[in-house]
Amino acid sequence: MSVREAIEAGTLPDRVWIYSNYHCNLECAYCLTESSPRSRRRSLDAVSMIAVAHEAAELGFREIGVTGGEPFLRRDLAATIAAMAAILPVTVLTNATQFSGDRIAMTDPLVGLPVRLQISLDAPDPEPNDELRGPDNFAKVVDAVPRLVERGLRVRIATTVEPGRLSETDHRRLCELHRTWGIDDDDHLVRPVLREGRADATGMGARFERDQLPPELAVAEHGAFWSAFGPTIRGDVADTHLLITRTILPLATPASALLRLVEGRPQGADANIGIR
Amino acid sequence: MALVDLIDAERAPLLVAHLYENGDPGPIASALAQVPELCEVALPFLGASLGPGATGVRLKELVILRTSARLECRYCVAAHTAVALDVGLGLDEVHALRDDDDLDAAFADPRERALLAWIDAVATGRGPVPAGVTAAMRERFDDHEIVELTNCIGVTMLLNRFCTALDLPVGASVAERLTSEGFDIR
Repeated sequence: MSVREAIEAGTLPDRVWIYSNYHCNLECAYCLTESSPRSRRRSLDAVSMIAVAHEAAELGFREIGVTGGEPFLRRDLAATIAAMAAILPVTVLTNATQFSGDRIAMTDPLVGLPVRLQISLDAPDPEPNDELRGPDNFAKVVDAVPRLVERGLRVRIATTVEPGRLSETDHRRLCELHRTWGIDDDDHLVRPVLREGRADATGMGARFERDQLPPELAVAEHGAFWSAFGPTIRGDVADTHLLITRTILPLATPASALLRLVEGRPQGADANIGIR
Repeated sequence: MALVDLIDAERAPLLVAHLYENGDPGPIASALAQVPELCEVALPFLGASLGPGATGVRLKELVILRTSARLECRYCVAAHTAVALDVGLGLDEVHALRDDDDLDAAFADPRERALLAWIDAVATGRGPVPAGVTAAMRERFDDHEIVELTNCIGVTMLLNRFCTALDLPVGASVAERLTSEGFDIR
């Protein structure tokens, strides 16, 4: 079975994740890449990111996800995303803290393109959100999101919580909040903290096995991995237990290896733990 | 301490995780596991190159230990001193292959002497192998044997430089055994 056939059959997920960089202006308590302002950047250059999008499309993938670190700390990010969005639809995970005031203009190249910004908001109130994500984070997000929506950008909200810890009341209040911004419930994700990276050091999150993670191909500067949750960092050392290949381009190399691994899985092993 | 992080079982990449199913696969595999797509093709190639093959385990170990000694690979000399003894080479032969003793005194068989001259010429020489060495080799070995043994020399050289450059550690049990049997761990 080719990679394209596997995607069409649903054996392989149709999205490729790209870690654009690992540094971040925040230092979230559960960050699985231990990202912070002091992190090694591990940036994947724009030419490689665009090449991944090209080759992903040729192989039959249908979507690109970009994550980090905080991708928008890169000055070339918007132009790179725009180039990628000419090839495949792109979802960019961001903390939205870089869009204050006139700086929101950095998103201009993305308006009108098949680009979706997925923005983290972990609680309906500042205190519990900022406890996890850093001072003033709540205020910056509620300032940025409606202005992004107003500019015509599609926005998704992602709420990351300790498994089972989001109360019905808080869930309802989060939904009320995003609906006021014109974001409907389909664009609100609630997902568990996974015990990797900083979450492992702080004892947060759910432990998981490889086969509980959707086998999405994820590429970073230091290799290609099983799942967007594969290229994690612990103690400033890159984890390798979900590493597929060090080669990321040509993308067929890790994609074919991933397919071999997926085909070797026992039937019914593809349960996931609510991660999108 | 090796130059690079030797991957342990807990961090074994997916393509090579099976190598760890029966315990520590050793420092060469643990280093190669840093690049799984290379490791998964390199190890079978190394196994086919260094394993008994058509020429047999004795000749292969002559090649591996002699080549490793000439290239002064501490890891490979130690590991294959133990292997050579395990497959039945005599103590005098092993010492001679390691350059501890005189090679001519330990090996009287003309076929093996031709091979040892071939090994020394291929592993340490530059340019063409001397005509006399080549003629002796052709006289006593078939073409497929020459190919297999010469490949074994080349692959051993690759590993010698790999293990030396990465400063791969000699296993504690090997070091203890060789010391107890009177060998230097150089």
